[in-house]
Amino acid sequence: MEKNKALSHEFTKGLLKENPVFRLVLGTCPTLATSTSVASAIGMGIAVTIVLTCSNIVISALRRVIPDKVRIPAYIVIIASFVTVIQMLVKAFVPALDVSLGVYLPLIVVNCIILGRAEAFASKNPVLASALDGLGMGIGFIFALACMSTIREVLGSGTFLAGIKDLLQVFGEVDFNGFTIPWLSEHPMTIFVLAPGGFFVFGCMIALANRVAERSGRKCAELNGCGSCPMAASCRMTGEEGRK
Amino acid sequence: MSTNEIPAAGKKKGMRDILVCALALFIICLVSAAALSITNSITKDRIIKVEEEQADNARRKVIPGAESFELCELDGGTSIYAALDTDGSVIGYAVSTTDTSYGGEIAVMTGIDMNGIITGVEILTINDTPGLGMNAKNESFRNQFRGKPGGGLMVSGDASGDEIQAITGATKTSEAVTRCVNKASALIFGADNAAGKEADGNGEE
Amino acid sequence: MTKELLAVLLTAILTQNFILCRFLGICPFLGVSKKFDTAIGMSVAVILVMVLATAVCYPINQYVLVPKDLEYLQTIVFILVIASLVQLVEIILRKYLKSLYNALGIYLPLITTNCAVLGVVLLNIGNNYNFITSIVNSLGGGVGFMIAMIMFSGVRERLETSDIPRFLRGLPITLIAAALTSCSFLGFSGIVDNIFR
Repeated sequence: MEKNKALSHEFTKGLLKENPVFRLVLGTCPTLATSTSVASAIGMGIAVTIVLTCSNIVISALRRVIPDKVRIPAYIVIIASFVTVIQMLVKAFVPALDVSLGVYLPLIVVNCIILGRAEAFASKNPVLASALDGLGMGIGFIFALACMSTIREVLGSGTFLAGIKDLLQVFGEVDFNGFTIPWLSEHPMTIFVLAPGGFFVFGCMIALANRVAERSGRKCAELNGCGSCPMAASCRMTGEEGRK
Repeated sequence: MSTNEIPAAGKKKGMRDILVCALALFIICLVSAAALSITNSITKDRIIKVEEEQADNARRKVIPGAESFELCELDGGTSIYAALDTDGSVIGYAVSTTDTSYGGEIAVMTGIDMNGIITGVEILTINDTPGLGMNAKNESFRNQFRGKPGGGLMVSGDASGDEIQAITGATKTSEAVTRCVNKASALIFGADNAAGKEADGNGEE
Repeated sequence: MTKELLAVLLTAILTQNFILCRFLGICPFLGVSKKFDTAIGMSVAVILVMVLATAVCYPINQYVLVPKDLEYLQTIVFILVIASLVQLVEIILRKYLKSLYNALGIYLPLITTNCAVLGVVLLNIGNNYNFITSIVNSLGGGVGFMIAMIMFSGVRERLETSDIPRFLRGLPITLIAAALTSCSFLGFSGIVDNIFR
């Protein structure tokens, strides 16, 4: 009973309480870059979730085998392999997603959520907990991307779920291809799909998340310099070594 | 773990440490390389098939009524396909050309009939700003080309005659697409001449 | 040729700025732009690694991966090359250029997982640039990174002393300031095109 509760906590914490994007401020680059349309944001979210869950499982299974000193390169190799596999699968089965994500698909390798979870969680916890942690964090990432992209797409292009057909075609022929919002589609606020709109919406979402967090007595999401970066530990370490 | 052991342990231990690290990394690399090559061998054919299918669909869209296509010329990013009808006679050409746009290279497929009139334009690859340059994919922009003679098309504020109305806020993308279409048209008339010359040459031989 | 290269350079610096337009390298942009000195140190290290990574990855791709039909290994090979390159640069700097190491050394490990570095290598290959254009594009990307970092460190020093609504304090206002900085870069769109027309 106790154990089940702990496991379900590993899964649910990533959804809201420790949402990787709004609370831990990880993976900002793909969040900003791919949230211009809901379809590409969800595609990105699913790809990241798969890579995150798989790499968490493998890294956790190998946590006693990988020597501590070479763990970062080992993690990078494992993550990069999963990303390449996903890249090939996307190219073969969802080519439209490959086009809309472009360079950000291979860049999942350097997404700090994945290396961050490997370093902070999977390297210290058993396989099942790591898998659930990865899945929860991934779904939290999809949720955050969906929120941001909905705001940006509706206001910036006047559509909702446009191009979703390309994602759904994996499951067979679908005729549904999103909604067009009557007045907004003729007068879209294009700035929202441009770079400044990304930063702006992200800032507002974090402010909102902070407010909600404070109400329930938790700390605001903070910008603690490099603290959230997965390389921070090795960075400080090498820095000290250099000075010795 | 091992970081703490180093000062206490002797040199031999350090050497063994390095070997263990190298071996672990080597095995991980080996396994992942094997996994990747297996995935590649599974997906490779499918990726090629998907790409071909997409190109074929684009060709069919730009030349409506074509039965089959025959490759005439292939040179890097540029390709020319002749569109054949059911009788096997040429009814037009599907030309794919590239140019530089705002976000890098774009590739455009242009359909041209035998009179040099453009029958359709499809964007194959584009990497521009969503909401601005990416609007080049919209039919309202692409359909402007249909029915116009290729070659000397210009981008302007309003569409009339040989002019193409630019996408709002994305003049550079509009110009790049137009350049691609003009290039395609020039290639066909160039290619036609070349074909003619070749035939002449053969005749002389 | 020079005209083309200049156009690529200016595009990478201004209109397609890595941070403010392409969203590559946001982590260091938000993390280390608080002070002017750290912003400069980080940017110089990024420029160095970006150019070196391109110089090493381009021949590997062109002469090893493409002829052997191994393009699918690009991602994994490049990230490993970048990671080892960063280590190598760190060792060399520590051994021979102690003063430079003290200034840049602490930023180097952070750069391994900086998406701007892997991003520029992948973009160069995606755009079919040749060796020289690739190097110029990487240099431009790095310089653009530096300009954005320096500009933004100035903005942030001002933010420290302003009176900000409670829930916008800290990260949210930083992101909104980044939105405005990014707006200013929108003004450059079309400029490169018109200079070199």
